[in-house]
Amino acid sequence: MSSAAPVEKKPVRAKKLKRRRTFSRADRLTLGVFIGIPTFLHVALVWFPAFVTIYLSFTYWTGIHIGDIQWAGLANYENIFFNTPIFWDALRVNVVWLVWFGVIATPLGILLAYQIDREIRGHTFYQSAYYLPVVLSLAVIGVIWNFLLRPDGLVNGLLGLEISEAVSFFGDDRYNIWVILTMASWRHIGYIMLLYLAGLKAVDASLREASSIDGATEWQTFKKVVFPAMKPVNIIVIVITIIESLRAFDLIYIIYGSSGGLPILGVLVFQNIAGEGASMKGAAYAVILFLLSIVPIVSYLRQQFKEDVS
Amino acid sequence: MLNKITGHEVDRRLLLKGAAAGGLGIAGATMLAGCAPGAAGPLTFGARTVDESPTQQLQGLVAAYTAKTGNEVAYNATESNAFQNNLSQYLQGTPDDCFQWMAGYRMQFFAEQGLLEDISDVWDDIGDQYSEGYKIASTGLDGKQYFVPQSWYPWGLHFRKSMMAEIGMKPEDIYNWDDFMSALGELKGQGLIGLASADKGGWEAMGTFDILNARINGYQFHVDLLGGREKWTDDRVKEVFRHWEMMLPYQNTNVLDLEWDGAMQLLLQKQAGFFMNGSWFGGNFLEQSQEDYDDLMIIPFPEINPDNGRDTVDAPVDGFCVAKNGGNPDGGKDFIKFAGDMEGVQAMLDTGVPMTSANNGQDKSSYDAFQNAQQAVMDEAKYITQFLDRDTRPDFAGPIVGPAFQSWFKDPSSTDSILESLQSQWDALAPL
Repeated sequence: MSSAAPVEKKPVRAKKLKRRRTFSRADRLTLGVFIGIPTFLHVALVWFPAFVTIYLSFTYWTGIHIGDIQWAGLANYENIFFNTPIFWDALRVNVVWLVWFGVIATPLGILLAYQIDREIRGHTFYQSAYYLPVVLSLAVIGVIWNFLLRPDGLVNGLLGLEISEAVSFFGDDRYNIWVILTMASWRHIGYIMLLYLAGLKAVDASLREASSIDGATEWQTFKKVVFPAMKPVNIIVIVITIIESLRAFDLIYIIYGSSGGLPILGVLVFQNIAGEGASMKGAAYAVILFLLSIVPIVSYLRQQFKEDVS
Repeated sequence: MLNKITGHEVDRRLLLKGAAAGGLGIAGATMLAGCAPGAAGPLTFGARTVDESPTQQLQGLVAAYTAKTGNEVAYNATESNAFQNNLSQYLQGTPDDCFQWMAGYRMQFFAEQGLLEDISDVWDDIGDQYSEGYKIASTGLDGKQYFVPQSWYPWGLHFRKSMMAEIGMKPEDIYNWDDFMSALGELKGQGLIGLASADKGGWEAMGTFDILNARINGYQFHVDLLGGREKWTDDRVKEVFRHWEMMLPYQNTNVLDLEWDGAMQLLLQKQAGFFMNGSWFGGNFLEQSQEDYDDLMIIPFPEINPDNGRDTVDAPVDGFCVAKNGGNPDGGKDFIKFAGDMEGVQAMLDTGVPMTSANNGQDKSSYDAFQNAQQAVMDEAKYITQFLDRDTRPDFAGPIVGPAFQSWFKDPSSTDSILESLQSQWDALAPL
């Protein structure tokens, strides 16, 4: 705390130090409580289970008695990568999901936000309509769409098809993934729209005015002026898009249960860690999913912050 | 290493022989059982169903128990898949004192983990009401009992009598594979689905695999395969899929879009001639109407290999266990003793929900036509198996076999690679 550095050279630092010294006992106690308790909870409820999961992914265990844990080395991972075809199927679905969200759903949300921000006619109606699905959880969305699309559901009923002739929205591999992605996008688009709309409202109107006075087209204004000005929101949108695509679980679980009807990583984690079939293969799936989500996000954020510094 | 049910020849004669003696013993046994009214105190019961008929049945049991002993029973119901997925956590936490569960490997696994209460003393009281096969199915690997059976049902080909009469088909005459194939062809010719099938849940098709394997390769091979003593890559297993493939043209095409109850609808609505399933769904037909229920009938799956005849049937046993971590294990025991005793069985039968009880005391002369047919399916079989997901390792059945069969339905020509993958996944399982 007692820095020997001359005060004139680093006035800012000295000021900070001085201020810190003025914390009273009560301040420290308050800070300790306000920072300490959440930190403790965070470590206990997030970091501890995360590290335990990583450890368990290198073991054999049925999940019941601690004493039964056996070291397995890389066996669970080898098993997943080399013996389990459903892992690659699931990975493929997750990647398609990510690409779809990244290329179609998220840009669509941004487009809608932009149109609504320009206050096109009926924009408040559109805003509410597109936002409506966001208040529903994906599980509820799964239930709703299941009512509509299952073999004895509303759509097949309206088409006048018997169960045996029903369009196999969820069972046919040729299009079930697109049906699911449409359902997921139904909510995702509204979510992105709202986030982006909030960002757009915060963009200084004089920026746009200036660019239009300079003769920029609508598209140029968006690309060169508005979009860069929205950097913080863009980062959030990208991170959310990645996370939402990789953590997908509830929608699939509602429709397919834990069977492999449309395999995704989230369900594989669950299927291999819950119930009687529990093995630490599930923990290994969880670690793989964690790495898949965290690595692109961390590297993206690092790059962004590096740019900010320079 | 597998379990005593599949490893053991559960001779149906043993299962059924006690019937006559049981009938006589009933009066005495009833007086013996549950003779400590009120002693056990209030308890909780976990049902693994939220369906209408079974709930009505269990509520009848609970009401009769409370009326007899004065003990309050808190009835907690969970949807069966959710119940299954949560069972480990449930039993390690604060479970209900007693709960509904399944015999065989699935019970033994939790008994081995020390999560179930030893109820051998309950068997001392009510054991004489059950034949030996049920006692074996209720016994853990340590030789103690952990389970009280409630009911059984066979897997077989179900059909509607009225529908077959209209077509002029006599399903009772279907004995072997050729008979069956020509019947399927005839149904298809009439524009009907031959065999209603489902596998969206990932387990429904296991029943078809079980029976094909047992018919073609025999009981012993089936049991050895599920126990890991035979290989999935064996040509004999390929033969099973070759026969299965012959059935595909007569099945509904949306197998992966239907769960078992969707396929049941096909039978109910007379769109399909046959439905391969466990007979438990009789209750669902009865919910529709008495007429639908009376129309329902079952025959054994046809013979394929004359060496094996029709000597094996999947006939799972459902029942009750007592949780070790429950608040009132004595209460739990008292309750399942009542449930296993003829008095409790009678209370369930009195609800009018059809049940084929495991208890010898159930008067078989009161069986309806459908129940008699179920009994006949059992009588013809020499060997009883539980079901694929009850006869093999749980970390193999659900997460591995289920998706493998589903991917086979997507591409039946990939049999060889699917079987190779099944074998390599079996080999990579955690050591027991």
